[in-house]
Amino acid sequence: MAEESQSVLQLPPSSAAGGEGLTDVSPETTTPEPPSSAAVSPGTEEPAGDTKKKIDILLKAVGDTPIMKTKKWAVERTRTIQGLIDFIKKFLKLVASEQLFIYVNQSFAPSPDQEVGTLYECFGSDGKLVLHYCKSQAWG
Amino acid sequence: MEEDEFIGEKTFQRYCAEFIKHSQQIGDSWEWRPSKDCSDGYMCKIHFQIKNGSVMSHLGASTHGQTCLPMEEAFELPLDDCEVIETAAASEVIKYEYHVLYSCSYQVPVLYFRASFLDGRPLTLKDIWEGVHECYKTRLLQGPWDTITQQEHPILGQPFFVLHPCKTNEFMTPVLKNSQKINKNVNYITSWLSIVGPVVGLNLPLSYAKATSQDERNVN
Repeated sequence: MAEESQSVLQLPPSSAAGGEGLTDVSPETTTPEPPSSAAVSPGTEEPAGDTKKKIDILLKAVGDTPIMKTKKWAVERTRTIQGLIDFIKKFLKLVASEQLFIYVNQSFAPSPDQEVGTLYECFGSDGKLVLHYCKSQAWG
Repeated sequence: MEEDEFIGEKTFQRYCAEFIKHSQQIGDSWEWRPSKDCSDGYMCKIHFQIKNGSVMSHLGASTHGQTCLPMEEAFELPLDDCEVIETAAASEVIKYEYHVLYSCSYQVPVLYFRASFLDGRPLTLKDIWEGVHECYKTRLLQGPWDTITQQEHPILGQPFFVLHPCKTNEFMTPVLKNSQKINKNVNYITSWLSIVGPVVGLNLPLSYAKATSQDERNVN
């Protein structure tokens, strides 16, 4: 992704940033074609547990954000929030000008480099981590 | 279309007080600074970072919720004795300041920030931008805010960079409405800062998210 090198940070209108929206910026993130990525797999066949590599995540839409047909996912513990955001954006086919936020406890946005495994330890219950996601428009 | 969520100034101050209370519990060094006539005020946090990109001590920015010693203590040591300074000899230390003020015109909180070297030289916005983590740059370019501008701090009268508040309601409203559906007490400041903070290099430890739940059980 080309870096902006302006001296005054006047953010470009959303149309200008359109082509770069889905660039993979996290080194941990593979670029999955949803939903075939091994790091994020649908279904409940993997029981969540402390020693398991993957944790169960239940994704819930907020506001007028599209609802994912598959809501429950087994995700590797080391997957970051940014990686999950990228995955959901691709899955929902959001355009580059739309941003997605993920929340724990319905109100707190973890840092993009936070690992889901850590979030599961802190906020998981009943064997799963509930995350809310919300779409936002970027306005020019 | 959902009705926008605004907060009044008293509510803002109450949320800030709760936020600072938790900050004190975890050693995150946020403070409340009243204005001269004490009619209003703002929240403030200072942290130090080495310019070469590695963080010496990230006050309150640990994503694993660890409590760090305030950086000010390390800087009180004589330079010769400080091992950390030794490894950072070729780099420069930058002081970041984050202020959370209330905007009467927009009826939302606003994030003011600035950075300077220890000798007082201010960083340009370009310098600050270069210090922002790559994944946050993407968010900044795509997020629901259109500009960072430089403005005079309403209370201090000094130039600060400001994340423009005009879109704040648009990304806060869906989240608040959703939480209210289950009667969840949400600290607006915590929620808002968790979203806008990383954009300018400010991360909140996860324990703030849990603090909200605890406050529910200790209703004032």
